[in-house]
Amino acid sequence: MTAANFGTGPLLEIKGLKTHFFTQDGTVKAVDDVSFQIAHGQTMGVVGESGCGKSITSLSVMRLIDRPGRIVDGQILLNGVNLLTKSEDDMRDVRGDQMSMIFQEPMTSLNPVFTCGDQISEAVQQHSSMGRREAWDRAVEMLRLVGIPDAKRRATEHPHELSGGMRQRVMIAMALSTDPDLLIADEPTTALDVTIQAQILELMRSLREKNRMAIMLITHDLGVVAEMADEVVVMYAGKIVERGDVKTIFGAPHHPYTKGLLRSIPRLDARVDRLEVIKGTVPSPLNLPTGCLFKRRCPQRMRICDVAPPVRDLGHEHVSRCWLTPAGEEPEVGAETKGPEAEEAAEALTVAAR
Amino acid sequence: MGSYIIRRTIQAIPILFGVAIVSFAIVQLSPGSPIDRFRGANVKPETLANLARLYGLDQPIPQQFVSWITTFLQVWRREAWGFSLSDGRPVRDVIFSRMPATLLLGGVALALTIVVAVPIGILAAVKQYSWADKIITTFATVGYSIPSFLLGIYLLYLGGVVLHAFPLFGMRSLVGGGSPLDIAHHMVLPVLSLAIQQIAGWSRYVRAKMLEVLNQDYVRTAKAKGLSSNRVTYKHALRNALIPVITLFGLTLPGLLSGAVITETIFSWPGLGQLGVIAVAQRDYPLVLAFVMLGGFGVVAGNLLADVLYGVADPRIKY
Amino acid sequence: MVSQADSTALEIERRRREEAEAESEEIDRTPVRSYWQLVRRRFLGHRLAVFGAIALVVLALYGIVVPIVTGDAWTLTHLFLPDAPPQLFDKDGNFTFAILGYNETGQDLFARLGKATQTSLEIGLAAVLIIVTIGIFIGSIAGYVGGWLDNVMMRFVDVMLSLPALFVILMITAFFGGGNVWVVILAIGITGWTTAARLVRAEFLSLREVDYVQAARALGASPRRIIIRHMLPPALAPIVVAATLGIADSVVVESALSFLGFGLGSQEASLGTMLENAQNYFFSGPLKVVYPGVVLILIVLSASFLGDGLRDALDPRQRIETK
Repeated sequence: MTAANFGTGPLLEIKGLKTHFFTQDGTVKAVDDVSFQIAHGQTMGVVGESGCGKSITSLSVMRLIDRPGRIVDGQILLNGVNLLTKSEDDMRDVRGDQMSMIFQEPMTSLNPVFTCGDQISEAVQQHSSMGRREAWDRAVEMLRLVGIPDAKRRATEHPHELSGGMRQRVMIAMALSTDPDLLIADEPTTALDVTIQAQILELMRSLREKNRMAIMLITHDLGVVAEMADEVVVMYAGKIVERGDVKTIFGAPHHPYTKGLLRSIPRLDARVDRLEVIKGTVPSPLNLPTGCLFKRRCPQRMRICDVAPPVRDLGHEHVSRCWLTPAGEEPEVGAETKGPEAEEAAEALTVAAR
Repeated sequence: MGSYIIRRTIQAIPILFGVAIVSFAIVQLSPGSPIDRFRGANVKPETLANLARLYGLDQPIPQQFVSWITTFLQVWRREAWGFSLSDGRPVRDVIFSRMPATLLLGGVALALTIVVAVPIGILAAVKQYSWADKIITTFATVGYSIPSFLLGIYLLYLGGVVLHAFPLFGMRSLVGGGSPLDIAHHMVLPVLSLAIQQIAGWSRYVRAKMLEVLNQDYVRTAKAKGLSSNRVTYKHALRNALIPVITLFGLTLPGLLSGAVITETIFSWPGLGQLGVIAVAQRDYPLVLAFVMLGGFGVVAGNLLADVLYGVADPRIKY
Repeated sequence: MVSQADSTALEIERRRREEAEAESEEIDRTPVRSYWQLVRRRFLGHRLAVFGAIALVVLALYGIVVPIVTGDAWTLTHLFLPDAPPQLFDKDGNFTFAILGYNETGQDLFARLGKATQTSLEIGLAAVLIIVTIGIFIGSIAGYVGGWLDNVMMRFVDVMLSLPALFVILMITAFFGGGNVWVVILAIGITGWTTAARLVRAEFLSLREVDYVQAARALGASPRRIIIRHMLPPALAPIVVAATLGIADSVVVESALSFLGFGLGSQEASLGTMLENAQNYFFSGPLKVVYPGVVLILIVLSASFLGDGLRDALDPRQRIETK
């Protein structure tokens, strides 16, 4: 159990995180220079296509990255303390206590040979001094909290006796049983029916209210993000391409990728004959393009995109990794006269011209 | 669970019946007759005819089968399984007298297998890619590939001839033997010969299952809860990985009864296996038939045991 | 005359076009490999499997070439050469390839080993052929037809599986033939088909319902095309693996049989008879036990590696190590 620390600083700060996988076929930079913050009680949505690195980011925060992957650079500060310098023992104290994680597949994420109550009370006992009886009572209480009817009986049942939606509730109960400051939810509703999905999201909303809990919500579903998130981070091929307030991201997105994602959502109020797609596919991590990773699929591609774009500050905590000006237009050649990016850009253009 | 056992037992009956038919058929189809051994230059035809009638050989085959199987099932009677053609003793007595030796050998080998194979299989899985894993996997592959009779020969050669440390045959020393220590001394080589191959096979299986389990989502969840890696491995993972291993145990039991035929022959171990080989060589049909039935029973019982154990161990299974 | 500036501009344009082409290719083109190409790729990546395949080929060649080259040297006894050491030329100056020496009756061990390898492998192959034939026959009918026929057949398989296999093989060889190669082959074959039948049946049962078969049916493909193109390749995969391992198994069974005195007679040369003979000479000629044993172990090892590699290549879903 943690004493809630509602300090004024951010709860979670990720700075320049790099997690690479060293495989036989080459090095995969699954997470490459990712930085963002989550404040207490805030819900941060992490969006992106499959393979963009969002799950790896969350696993890196939990330091659950295993061979052949390794966190090679960066800092992860939880309440000001760098998790990457902690010993494994200390990390285990943090896991499940200050930060909890729930996963995508409720069907397989619970151990089939133990009862639901056992699995929850195990988490409780691990992070507190409660005895078996106390922990069990807390487990039942948590099951009630997440809306499982007949909680006392359900606690004695095994996971396979419950439906998918109920299992996910059990996972949430387990994650919340230690009253964590941060809940990392990796695609919590993707494997569930739409109606169950709505219930689970409603549950999460009410729980975060009650516990003043921050949530890192990872999903590829923009609808879920719109409903739940305060801030949004958009990831592509291991990098953050845009970050900002949820209203800004949805209302006035800057990065072409974000715009493409939003355009591809079918709308109820407009009639279209063809759905919009972003042409091309996500690049293979072993064959990344030079410069902007999105350039091959970008409708607004420019020559200068062969050089890695800077992270533009668009004001009000809105950033975008793109060469386009804050107004969304192509930059004039020579207009960017400050900084190393300008010199690189000039160099690149002269090379191309030679 | 109780009704499941009863159901399975009932299902086993036609299988055992089929086993009886097949073995009886093989005996009937083979050239020659049980009374051939009694033919001699001085034996009168009437004697042979009397013998034929005594053994029921003059009856039509289906009738012979029925009378054989009905007597066979009355296990409590001494003469239920017939009389051995070589020494006239009741087959039931002969088999029961040999059974302890085989059970001893097989039991010790099985115990050794469990005690050694399970831990090294787990070790290899937990420390995957380490040198321990490589050594264990190599040993398992090689050990699995050496046929057990070859292993027996080589162990016999190494232990008995080269090192001169172990006896070359039998269960007891001819002179003054019979003490537990003496028997144990005789048991070392045959047990090793049986166990090494089994250990190789089991440890591969344990390792494979353990690896499978360690890659499951719920193991990741357990780690995310902040449990120590020992807890994760030995409580969450092992409990799941051992379930199929338990069934393996049930499936290995039939081998105990059939006797390690080849091993017992190589080491002249006075058990059921050696008896079976001799019986076949001597065309001692009643004994041979009893053997096949015993083997079939062992397999069926072993399968049933494996399924029951699985049902007990895995809460997902509801019989 | 093209000016300097123009040529530079052309240069830029050309390079731009090239890049665009290359990229569009990269975007749209993922190399499409057929199923068999992928299988071959995966297999060749397995060093052990390749080693196993090569080793088996070498052993097979040994079994084919040596008997041809040495002729009947494997049976010729030279009683004046008991346990003689290896020699290249005999007393008449003729070239002999007796690099392993001679056994107690003066037979050339190298030639004998070659003949033994040949005999054992032949028996193994023949037995496996029987196993596969019966297995596919019974398994495919049971799997395809289903219903009560499937039930009956599977009960029969259960009975066969409940028989103590080695013992029944002993019975058959002892009662029906002593030393007859065909009896041995048949005995191994008719007791060993059960696993193959179950495999085929399982594949056929699941393949009947699989999506791509339904899709092919929906597209109007003829049953023959469906069976041959869609159902057979995945069904063959486990059979091939089982057959590979079955060869090794059959060779071992034959050796055990001959070793016990039930298979081939000691005049014949098989790995089992050589071993049976060798155990009488532990003290005088220990190597005689080693040679056929090593060949036997090599056969089993190579077949296991090959079988494992084939299994991974044909059905990578069965791979366990995902880290």
